[in-house]
Amino acid sequence: MEMIDALRADAAKVLADGRAKVVIGYQARGDHRAPLFVTTADRAASLVYDDACKQNLAVYLRKPEVKLLGKAAVVASPAAMRSLVLLMSESQLTGDDALVLAVGVGEYHGVLELAQVAPLLKEKYAALAPSPELLREIEKLAAKTPEERAAFWAKQFAKCTRCYACRAACPGCYCTRCIVEKNVPQWISTAAAGHGNYAWNVIRAFHLAGRCTGCGACEAACPQGIPLMLLNVLLGQEVEKEFETKAGYDPEAKPVIGSWNPEDEEDFIK
Amino acid sequence: MKVIEANKLPGLAAALAGAGYRVVAPIRDGGEVRMVVWSPGAAIDTRAIPVNSAKDFLFPKAEIIGRCTLDGNDFRPEDVKPVAPKTVILAARPCDASAMLLLDAVFNWDYKDEFFNARRAATTIVSLVCTTADEQCFCTSVGGAPDATAGADGVLRQADGGRSFILEPLTEKGKAVAAAAGAALAEGQAKADAPVEVPVHFDAKAVTEWLGENFESPLWREVSLACLSCGACAYACPTCHCFDLQDEATRAESVRLRNWDTCGLALFTAHAGGHNPRPDQAARWRQRVMHKFSYLVERLGRLGCTGCGRCARLCPAGMAICETCREIDEARKAAVK
Ligand code: SF4
Ligand code: SF4
Ligand code: SF4
Ligand code: SF4
Repeated sequence: MEMIDALRADAAKVLADGRAKVVIGYQARGDHRAPLFVTTADRAASLVYDDACKQNLAVYLRKPEVKLLGKAAVVASPAAMRSLVLLMSESQLTGDDALVLAVGVGEYHGVLELAQVAPLLKEKYAALAPSPELLREIEKLAAKTPEERAAFWAKQFAKCTRCYACRAACPGCYCTRCIVEKNVPQWISTAAAGHGNYAWNVIRAFHLAGRCTGCGACEAACPQGIPLMLLNVLLGQEVEKEFETKAGYDPEAKPVIGSWNPEDEEDFIK
Repeated sequence: MKVIEANKLPGLAAALAGAGYRVVAPIRDGGEVRMVVWSPGAAIDTRAIPVNSAKDFLFPKAEIIGRCTLDGNDFRPEDVKPVAPKTVILAARPCDASAMLLLDAVFNWDYKDEFFNARRAATTIVSLVCTTADEQCFCTSVGGAPDATAGADGVLRQADGGRSFILEPLTEKGKAVAAAAGAALAEGQAKADAPVEVPVHFDAKAVTEWLGENFESPLWREVSLACLSCGACAYACPTCHCFDLQDEATRAESVRLRNWDTCGLALFTAHAGGHNPRPDQAARWRQRVMHKFSYLVERLGRLGCTGCGRCARLCPAGMAICETCREIDEARKAAVK
């Protein structure tokens, strides 16, 4: 059976069995791919899946209106599955909050319970790595002087319109009030220019350091074409090197940004 | 007629820049075409639809509109003048040009906005007759057309199968641009290419009518499920005009900024006391559609959507206002039956 037929059959089945009330998948609108919320088995045939499906659908599990529909089964790629594990490790998802229609690389893994996601990732997708092109770009950037790097990012950040599409597209950006929305007083300039743009982009990247699961949804969302994955992957590499942990594989992991250890060598915090 | 060979468009830009214009044009950079300020060597591309709209050059994303200097206890307001360089926007799509008429109406409705008006007065818009469109284009559903000239001071028509362009001035400003182009434009003959055909997707009048009676409807939640709350749509939109005023101060000075803002974000309507009259994305998406297809029609007699499709091309969640309008039109037809 073709992968897509198996996916559609599973979607129809979980809805018919009542194991899920809504399947969150993709539909085709011409060349575009848009989310599709399927609530009845007969509409499962409209689901599609291909390389053009760039959005990380795990993001919808936190949306109040989607939650109102009832338990969801979400179509997830390995990167999106890592997002699900991240959300579990941060107490944003538990036990039977959702089902997963697990789409792997070149194969389809069927319907999974949340608890089965991390074992699958460890078994099959432990070596999930950023694309060689992206790694080359990071090396090129690393070879530059700090001044050149600062100039590179200043030019990129200058383009930012502060639309926050990057944040909206990211399953890891789930704060109900983002730091840029703390306005009594205003912590970070909301003008889409200069230091405010710099602060916003650096803070977004830092809040995802060691939490970014590499799905690329933010960069795909950015209307200005800012290469956000350069920052995300670079910070992920640093965290992996320093803390020997990689986001989205261990539901028991403590987030690097939110945990503290008395053995830490830095003394500024003690 | 004034004619220019297609590969000489950079020469036209150079001539206008030489005549003191800031030249904005659709420029290809890598895989994308954006409306940006032309500089020598930049590749003008009239085939692809620019990612951003020409609005950026009349209503910038952040602008200083007031300033005070602080010196000890001395507090001195300063007069901030609009930054309004003489500008020509070359090859603006008709959906961008017609959006100017809506912006004119909004920024001169009760209060005359001197910052917008100064830039508008200094700007000449030379639109392009579209010979290319994509699946997101729906100008013909909202009273526009690929060869419409509303809002334009001059129009560029692709001619002779793409080998040349005809520049036709429509207003005094347009004539001034044609004169400033000098030898970059030649007197000659060319046969204009046919505009692209754009199918009609919905009946805008019927949508406006339906909206008037359906502030409360289960449809809002259904059609907005995918929307994730961001500013990608409004910031790409040639007619969206919402802004936020912010004061930012150092010990030496305080500036008042006008920053883009959008009804897509929750904070837009969040009250200081914690209440939010638009509590969910369904209410926010409804506002976007209502404002464009009902409120603006009622108040200014114009739709707030020119069918450019930019919002749908950029939405990270695959939302498309054309699709919502189509669904409304269907819901209306189903209700009539
Ligand atoms: S999506 Fe891009 S333009 Fe929008 S806020 Fe993020 S970085 Fe800035
Ligand atoms: S419609 Fe798309 S671009 Fe607009 S607010 Fe919603 S998610 Fe963002
Ligand atoms: S609402 Fe969308 S299609 Fe309509 S004018 Fe704005 S960006 Fe263009
Ligand atoms: S649609 Fe929203 S952002 Fe655009 S002008 Fe209307 S209220 Fe403002």
